[in-house]
Amino acid sequence: MAHKFAIRANGLTKRYGQAVAVNNLDLNIQSGQFYGLLGPNGAGKSTTIHMLTTMTSPTSGEAFIAEKSVLKEPVAIRASVGLVFQDSALDRMMTVDENLQFAAALYNLKPAQANDRIEELLAIFGLQKKRHMKLAALSGGQRRAVDIARGVLHKPKVLFLDEPTIGLDLPNRRAIWRFVEQLRKEEGMTVFLTTHYLEEAVACDRVDFIQNGKLQYGGAPNALIRDLAVYILEIDCADTEAVNRALSPQFGQPIWEDEHLSYRVKDKNVDFSQLQQSLGEAVISLQWRKPNLNDVYLWTVCPPETGVVT
Amino acid sequence: MKNWLAVKAVAGRELSKVFRQRGRLISSMVRPLIWLLVIGSGVGSMLQGSQQEGYLGFLVPGIVAMTLLFAALLSALTLVYDKEFGVMRMMMIAPIEHYWIVIAKLIAATITAMVQALMLLVILVLIGLIDWDIALLLLIPSFATAICCAAIGGLIAAWSRTLDNFAVIMNFFIFPLFFLSGALYPVSQLPELLKYVVLINPFSYGVDLMKHAVPAAESDFSVLTDISVLAVFSVLAIVIACWRFSRESVHEPLFHRATGKKS
Repeated sequence: MAHKFAIRANGLTKRYGQAVAVNNLDLNIQSGQFYGLLGPNGAGKSTTIHMLTTMTSPTSGEAFIAEKSVLKEPVAIRASVGLVFQDSALDRMMTVDENLQFAAALYNLKPAQANDRIEELLAIFGLQKKRHMKLAALSGGQRRAVDIARGVLHKPKVLFLDEPTIGLDLPNRRAIWRFVEQLRKEEGMTVFLTTHYLEEAVACDRVDFIQNGKLQYGGAPNALIRDLAVYILEIDCADTEAVNRALSPQFGQPIWEDEHLSYRVKDKNVDFSQLQQSLGEAVISLQWRKPNLNDVYLWTVCPPETGVVT
Repeated sequence: MKNWLAVKAVAGRELSKVFRQRGRLISSMVRPLIWLLVIGSGVGSMLQGSQQEGYLGFLVPGIVAMTLLFAALLSALTLVYDKEFGVMRMMMIAPIEHYWIVIAKLIAATITAMVQALMLLVILVLIGLIDWDIALLLLIPSFATAICCAAIGGLIAAWSRTLDNFAVIMNFFIFPLFFLSGALYPVSQLPELLKYVVLINPFSYGVDLMKHAVPAAESDFSVLTDISVLAVFSVLAIVIACWRFSRESVHEPLFHRATGKKS
């Protein structure tokens, strides 16, 4: 039976001694959604995933996967979730096939069943020819793909991806996203993603920003970007004080980094060429561009006065 | 049993690794044979006449037990090895209670130890030190000892966080367990204090049970005492190892490496 919410959490909190890793987290993630939890390193993203997948228990609060309690039914939860860890959980000395057969048996898949599923997944990832190669002989991107295949062998209801593209180059990162998209399309699973490559989360149905263990701000990526601004205006200049005096009445406070100023432009009819002329020699460079999720993060989660990324 | 496939997979992975490394399997035969040769001949030369020949026979249960101890302990320690290399997380996220991982590993440890004991017994028969019937008879106490050694390994593994402790384990567990067990000398001739140490060492009862199967070796305890101690200790140690391993705080370094938090 499909549940309305694939993941629910109420007041989920994890403390390590005095340090609060996750602070009073509430989540309601609908079935089939592609959800992104975004934030800097150490914000509490992985700890949240580990609590939701029974790898660590919350200090207080509760969570449910497909309406099953994480605290009361850990084994049932593990049967219905897939988790791709931040760094590989595979045995580098075994072949791709041995790793996946091993994982399949852990999920109680019979060898014949496992064989079909492994073939199917390796076909999605284009790794059929690597099936009997040792994992150590694969590239970083291929290993990550095998890791994801391992996470979805048992067709989980919810797939957790903890920084799935960390340490990968751009082509491999794009390939991983194509695989995830294909898996979502074909298997209809709910995907819970954490990443600090914010621009990658634009495909999510909903994202939330987390900082110091607390949810800060969230929504549909496109709506967040739309609400932020029409353009982001970036100016490099020597005399930032003077330029800001001229611009802040029109655009508000900028994000200020040394000789670099960023403004939110909310009026789509702003004439940038005229602006450039009026500033004249004062600017070294001036450019305007469409905002993205990085801008949403910088403007909403980090205080605009400082623009400091924690 | 719904966890059978998972248990079989964990144990099977371990065993396939053992049999893949044939070199390791063969070298595991070298250690007991060197002991037999060096200690057997060396110490034996200090004895007189008939005692000299008898000492080699006396050593047989001890070196078979030593093979079991090393094999089972090292195999059980793969619980720590898998943690170190991250593979443990693949098992932790599986839909089984975590104690099954310990049970599967200990089954593999027992089988690995028995295979090595079997190989050694064949060698001992071939070099004429024991007869086939004694070799066969030794299989039963070997099995009980293998389980006991695996259980000791499970206990150590459940308390070890990293393989850095390996040298500590060798020095503080394997060697004392072996030397203070009656494997090399009759317990009755030890000084009083050491005798007590031997009495609280569960491995001693495995060695002693094996001595019952070898006419050249004089045993110190009754068969019933040996079996009772081995059974009670093994069950207790396995239960404690499973309990300890099921506590998540034991695995926190596995999941919080990135943030550098310590449990």
